[in-house]
Amino acid sequence: MSIWTRTRRNIVLATASTAILTSSALSAGVEAPKDDALKVMQLPIRTDGPKSLDPVVGSTTYDNMACAQFYETLLTNKYANPMEMEPLLLAEMPTSEDGGTTWHFKLKPEVYFQDNACFPDGKGRAITSDDVFYSIKRLADEKYKLKNWWLLDHTILGFNEYKDVQNAADQFDYDAPVEGFRKINDVEFEIILEKPVYRFLYILSMFQTSIVSHEAVEFYGENFARNPVGTGPFILDTWVPKQSMTANRNPNYHEVLYPERSEWSKADKRNRLHRAAGKQVPFVDRIEFTMFAEDQPMWLEFSKGKLGYSQVPEDYFTEAFDLASRELSEEYLRKGIRSHSNMLLDFTFRGFNMEDELLGGYTPEKIALRRAISYAMDLDEINKTFYNGRRIVYDGPIPPGLDGHPENHRADAAARGPNLSKAKKLLAEAGYPNGEGLPPIRFLTSQSAINNAVGEMVKRQLAEVNIKFEPVYLDFSTLIENINKKKAPMFGFAWASDYPDAENNLALFFGPNESPGSNHYNYKRPEFDTLYEKILTMGPSDERTAIYEQMRDMVLDDCAYIGGMARERFYLINPWLRNCKPTERYYGWFKYLDVDDDARN
Amino acid sequence: MWTYIVRRTLYNIPVFLAIIFLMMAALRVSDPVSAQLSKNPTPKEIELKKKEFGLDKPFIVQYGIFMKQLVFLDFSERSWDQEFTVKEMITKSIPPSMAVTIPTLTITASIAICVGLISAFYRGRMPDKILMFIAVIGMSISVLVYIMIGQYWGAYLPSNVFKDWPFQISVDASAGSSRWFFFVPSNWVAYCMLPVMINVTVALGYDTRFYRAVMVEESQKDYIRTARAKGASVKRVMFVHMLKNAMIPIITRIMISLPFIITGSILIEVYFGIPGMGRTLIKAINAKDFPVIQTFTALFAALFIASNILTDVLYALADPRVRLS
Repeated sequence: MSIWTRTRRNIVLATASTAILTSSALSAGVEAPKDDALKVMQLPIRTDGPKSLDPVVGSTTYDNMACAQFYETLLTNKYANPMEMEPLLLAEMPTSEDGGTTWHFKLKPEVYFQDNACFPDGKGRAITSDDVFYSIKRLADEKYKLKNWWLLDHTILGFNEYKDVQNAADQFDYDAPVEGFRKINDVEFEIILEKPVYRFLYILSMFQTSIVSHEAVEFYGENFARNPVGTGPFILDTWVPKQSMTANRNPNYHEVLYPERSEWSKADKRNRLHRAAGKQVPFVDRIEFTMFAEDQPMWLEFSKGKLGYSQVPEDYFTEAFDLASRELSEEYLRKGIRSHSNMLLDFTFRGFNMEDELLGGYTPEKIALRRAISYAMDLDEINKTFYNGRRIVYDGPIPPGLDGHPENHRADAAARGPNLSKAKKLLAEAGYPNGEGLPPIRFLTSQSAINNAVGEMVKRQLAEVNIKFEPVYLDFSTLIENINKKKAPMFGFAWASDYPDAENNLALFFGPNESPGSNHYNYKRPEFDTLYEKILTMGPSDERTAIYEQMRDMVLDDCAYIGGMARERFYLINPWLRNCKPTERYYGWFKYLDVDDDARN
Repeated sequence: MWTYIVRRTLYNIPVFLAIIFLMMAALRVSDPVSAQLSKNPTPKEIELKKKEFGLDKPFIVQYGIFMKQLVFLDFSERSWDQEFTVKEMITKSIPPSMAVTIPTLTITASIAICVGLISAFYRGRMPDKILMFIAVIGMSISVLVYIMIGQYWGAYLPSNVFKDWPFQISVDASAGSSRWFFFVPSNWVAYCMLPVMINVTVALGYDTRFYRAVMVEESQKDYIRTARAKGASVKRVMFVHMLKNAMIPIITRIMISLPFIITGSILIEVYFGIPGMGRTLIKAINAKDFPVIQTFTALFAALFIASNILTDVLYALADPRVRLS
């Protein structure tokens, strides 16, 4: 048999197998036809989406975004005003009669876990006080790597001891008592704190403290993180990692009503956000998230009208908005698209490692060197050149909108550049007159087109005072690794506040939080630490704000970082998506959205 | 032949072991734990993570564990970055990649061989110059440019004009989790055809120039002149005599591409949202997800070795002068 005969035979065989494969693929891949009457909402998730759907091991924004659809917390942010909180799984806001040490909670009646095979007869049961204790205790279990233990470390009475004892034992006993958990009955309980900790209520609104059922955790075992069973408005249908996630409406969702008309501002009412006031949510039958690692496909899908809303990526800002007036362009207005923007509780900065031989330290010379670098930098030029001037440059680590943020974004203690004469003077005081003898400054930052360009600009700015600047661009995980191991003399980084309280940002400079903790500067000032411990117990007051300002200025005086900047996030919303007021303060707001299929078609 | 295959396979085992060893050692130059920590990690959290990942064990033990997993084809280890096993991630990613790479390879090779033949036939004349000019243009432009333009002009703009335009901008959530979704013809046209066209456009330039060079060399040989002298038609000379004798470099070129069928194309998959291996792999590398990177590298190395052996076998089948020994 010649090679050609054999080849022909092989081609016939290959064709036949392909036909068989294709027909089997056809039967395997065809999905059930969708019911056209269903209200389906398509939304984007920028980047990779969640890593885990188990609240206690989640930490990213995308974990939060996903978990918030399936699980719920005791408290949540208000949709109409996300800076304020309201009860979600509670009948009312928790109360304390002893100044914040003992908190009394009453669960909302008729709140059921989603129907799932983990429950007898597949029927979800009502949540109880025990579920709350169980969910919080999971944070202490080393099985989950204590990823979010920092949220409640030294907060609840006897909880640290419970954690140590249980993790040392052969079996982690969830039934063992914790001194600070007091069950009154199935729907009422108390939590006693070691001392009043003001952030405690914020923590109870964070997705990591979502209420889970022990039946689901036990039933799904190590697959629990992809089989969420909560009380949330949606039930997971499919999750393709880094690709998509779909969920269907929870038919047994408890009574949650759309915010009343009185809660909405005038601007919100102009956008008709109040029109669903008082109605039971969720409004849609199905929610479909697509994850976009690149901006172009997300932007095109939005422009085509397929996605309900989209963040406006930097590269598309001038396409969507007039740069001078910041008004939405005519083209988008004609399509009925509207815009919405949020100021993020954002702190982007260039930090110094205070333990670095060259740049660290607290002596006047070392402080002078850091301040000289800060004075030589022009953050406004960076903002104008790379971000169309849309970022807010501000002094201190407290973002705009929070107590302790300086008036007009400026604080006297800051070494705000550009001020080249001051920079030169301080350089001389630091022992490097005219930059002589100063080794190059190694600056580690994450790799991106903008970061590379910004690095070159800073290089040019610092060169004006003869400071040699060496930017090193790394992938994000390598950057974190270097910072955690205190190997980065200077680094570019950002912090998004977990809750709207400056305490969260000031914790970045609290000594015990040094790397690998969130104090990446390894800043250690005993006076600062004492004040930080003091503010932990304080509620909002003029006295607390004054301490915030004192702590802010302390960090600015020492010049532990250069910055900061806060981003403003812009969104465009297609006309078929109703009730949409995007926020990044929390992600439980998707249940309020509605679709108008007539407008879409 | 079977003896040859078995012997070559045995010879390649040390190569395979060395590849895995070097790859695992190279990965461990950096610390993967940092990529998986919370916002405020403690030394205890880091210690627990290291233990969970098995990084607290000596390197040689880690190597031994991974080799054992490979020998028993046990890919049940969980990804460090996602709540899925390595097996699930790889088996779900390979079919979507293949939905793009197999048609790309087939179409590119078929067209490039034909164009190479035509170009060689018209060597130095206008058709040859035009074809080679197009090929050079094709290969000179970055794939990213093709993707950006293709997505905009090939999917977005026409879909605004024609309601039933077949090409979609990117894969959306309605694709669901079926690994065979892209093998349904209508879905393939919607989501894969445009990426395939872009891939073919990019690859054609390289392949055409290669096949042209092969054909030109072949066309100068004596047997071609003899065939023409005997009165064989141009078509017969090109497609029977010349093509048959050029099979060795053609086989080499095609076989060397075979392992890449499972790797997919990173940029294409990222932009078009195809949940393939290229996308999975780049995400795994960014997240320092060692189990996925290691398993994929092992799979790729094995395929590469297998395709090398298969190439030798095909040489012998294509050319009787080649003997397997």
